[in-house]
Amino acid sequence: MKITRYEDMDDMAKDMMREIGSIGTGNAATALSSLLGTEVKMTVPNVEILGYNEAVDYLGHAEDMVSGVLVEMAGDLSGMMLFVMKLDFVNEVLGRVGMEPIKNIMWVQEMESSAVTEVGNIIISNYILSLSKLADMKISLSVPSFTVNMLGGILTVPMAEFGYESDKLMMITGKCIIGGKRVESNLLMLPDISSLNYLMDRLVTSNG
Amino acid sequence: MQIIRREGTLITYALGSCIGISLYDPQIKLAALIHIMLPEAAGQAGNVFKFADTGIQETLRKMAVFGGVKSRYICKIAGGAKMFENLSRSSLGNIGERNVHSVEAAMQAEKIRIVRKDVGANYARTMLLDAADGKVRIRTAGRPEIIL
Repeated sequence: MKITRYEDMDDMAKDMMREIGSIGTGNAATALSSLLGTEVKMTVPNVEILGYNEAVDYLGHAEDMVSGVLVEMAGDLSGMMLFVMKLDFVNEVLGRVGMEPIKNIMWVQEMESSAVTEVGNIIISNYILSLSKLADMKISLSVPSFTVNMLGGILTVPMAEFGYESDKLMMITGKCIIGGKRVESNLLMLPDISSLNYLMDRLVTSNG
Repeated sequence: MQIIRREGTLITYALGSCIGISLYDPQIKLAALIHIMLPEAAGQAGNVFKFADTGIQETLRKMAVFGGVKSRYICKIAGGAKMFENLSRSSLGNIGERNVHSVEAAMQAEKIRIVRKDVGANYARTMLLDAADGKVRIRTAGRPEIIL
């Protein structure tokens, strides 16, 4: 089945994306737990196809200040990966690497931002690594880019990127649980439509 | 796109690389607020308000229906930020800047002067437009509110 809009995805296609997501997040969690020296789990991912306002509501409020790590994907799969963290997640990470917690996410300085960017980068690259092995695809990743900004503003980046092909975003989201503590973070995988088709073709044919 | 008259506040939240465009006719207190995401429609159908060129055209048409007179319009814009640094794809890196240029060009073509603007930099903005006096406020995190 060829998809021309994200809305065209049927349950089977969504299940397939959820399964890919769950393998990816599993690997990402393992990598993060060895970095932080504690157990890290990720919830079973959801596959959501949402408009801009719905996507913002799904993740919080437009004016919520969050930090985000963005990595662009190119090669056999193009699109972007976005890891969105709220203050409790950032502080949990800082605490695990022996840094002082911060009271306001706006106060992230250079040291804090490198630690958090690295965490985002590890999660994203391990997620993509497992995906590229599974589907035998070559995916190259950009250098991670970090921001602290309003949630709504951060989400305009993928909306604008895919704006000419869709009014909606397809997000595969998963939340982190660090050391038994549920902290607010979301991993978003945002492939473009042609990559989504390619990925699904690839998985169907390679699995018989 | 939202239009109101005489009283009330229009608001658009967390403009990142998008642009909020406020158009106000002081004579009849007609206020319109547009939130565009991309510079040009490039022949695309769908939501016209997503694009600067078609969004502005359609808003001007609607305002005229409500009795607005173009020569009286006061235009103020905000947004067009660069949310992430060092993105490799140039299309993403300067989308905010391209949006600003496109809005400016569209307004110039319509002979509407942009009297105030708060654009660029790297942070998201919330834009509020008061229909009673056309006052535009810009809210950002960690910075004092700006009145345009």
